[in-house]
Amino acid sequence: MAVDEEPDTTAKNSAGGENTENKRNESRGEEERAFECNICLDTAKDAVISMCGHLFCWPCLHQWLETRPNRQSCPVCKAAISRDKVIPLYGRGGSKEDPREKLPPRPQGQRTEPENTGAFSNFGFDGGFQMSFGIGAFPFGLFASTFNFGDPVIRAHGTNPANLEDERFLSQLFLWVAILFIFWLLVA
Amino acid sequence: MANIAVQRIKRELKEVLNSDEVARCSIHVELVGESFAELKGEIAGPPDTPYEGARFQLEIKIPETYPFNPPKVRFVTKIWHPNVSSVTGAICLDILKHQWAAAMTLRTVLLSLQALLASPEPDDPQDAVVARQCKDKPQIFQLTAQHWANAYAGGPSVNPDYENKIRRLKDLGVTEMNARASLSSCDWDLERATEQIFS
Repeated sequence: MAVDEEPDTTAKNSAGGENTENKRNESRGEEERAFECNICLDTAKDAVISMCGHLFCWPCLHQWLETRPNRQSCPVCKAAISRDKVIPLYGRGGSKEDPREKLPPRPQGQRTEPENTGAFSNFGFDGGFQMSFGIGAFPFGLFASTFNFGDPVIRAHGTNPANLEDERFLSQLFLWVAILFIFWLLVA
Repeated sequence: MANIAVQRIKRELKEVLNSDEVARCSIHVELVGESFAELKGEIAGPPDTPYEGARFQLEIKIPETYPFNPPKVRFVTKIWHPNVSSVTGAICLDILKHQWAAAMTLRTVLLSLQALLASPEPDDPQDAVVARQCKDKPQIFQLTAQHWANAYAGGPSVNPDYENKIRRLKDLGVTEMNARASLSSCDWDLERATEQIFS
């Protein structure tokens, strides 16, 4: 049996009277084993975790997914797995490790922004524009868009007075165009 | 051989040799040569099966792409089982083919093979003759499997009737192995086996 003995944290300390030391080493070995990649059985590098909770090195998992592109399943529990559905694990100081350039980058973490509650811009201008498609609602649409000018004006206030002047001029211009348009509609 | 494969085999050997199953002598693995590309496996016949008390040698070949592709495993010891070829020892087991997963190890493969011995799948056969016997004449199948385990794998139970029939064929100049194979595939009907050999 020619198995190379690697330096291992579980290695028994042969010196007598150091049982506590041995125990500590063994439990540390157990802890490290809990973070072994399920494919190479080494401590996971560039670690990713599947939705079913199984830990892999990204290079190992990537190669597994490449090996059978048509039937991608978790190497441990055979649950469905895909590149987009694994989560990278970032420990402290993990990035100091050798980033294997030739291998594909780990998939991005999915980070969603917290919901923006004060988002007026989401419906103001667009809403006005869509309303203008219906003939009946046409004038309202124009009014809607003119009203919306109020919001940016307030926000721009104090930051740039020149902008404020422009905005006010534009809003007056639009108002006049609207009035002329309604007048033309009435006459015609 | 790819570095990841060598590393894996080293770690797996350590895992297997420290496992409870090795302590119970239920499975065993060792290297063949220094290359980590070939290993020798051994499994004990599971209790309450015709294979109980016998030990089966396996040839395990580690492909270049291990563990992304399964190891190639074959019975070296002759065995009478619907999912193993009685001639070549080739195994029909899904995890050694399309159902392989990279997290499986030598230990889990050997345990799966033991489980296969305990529950044959005659509906997905490797050896059609054995599978038909297993389905149509389960009694004869049991005795035949037991006899093969005794003859080739050190199983305990001796079957004087079968031994006698083999001796009759040997007297006609047939080798023991051929006589056993023919008689087994003819459900131990001596006349039919004789006919099959000499036609």
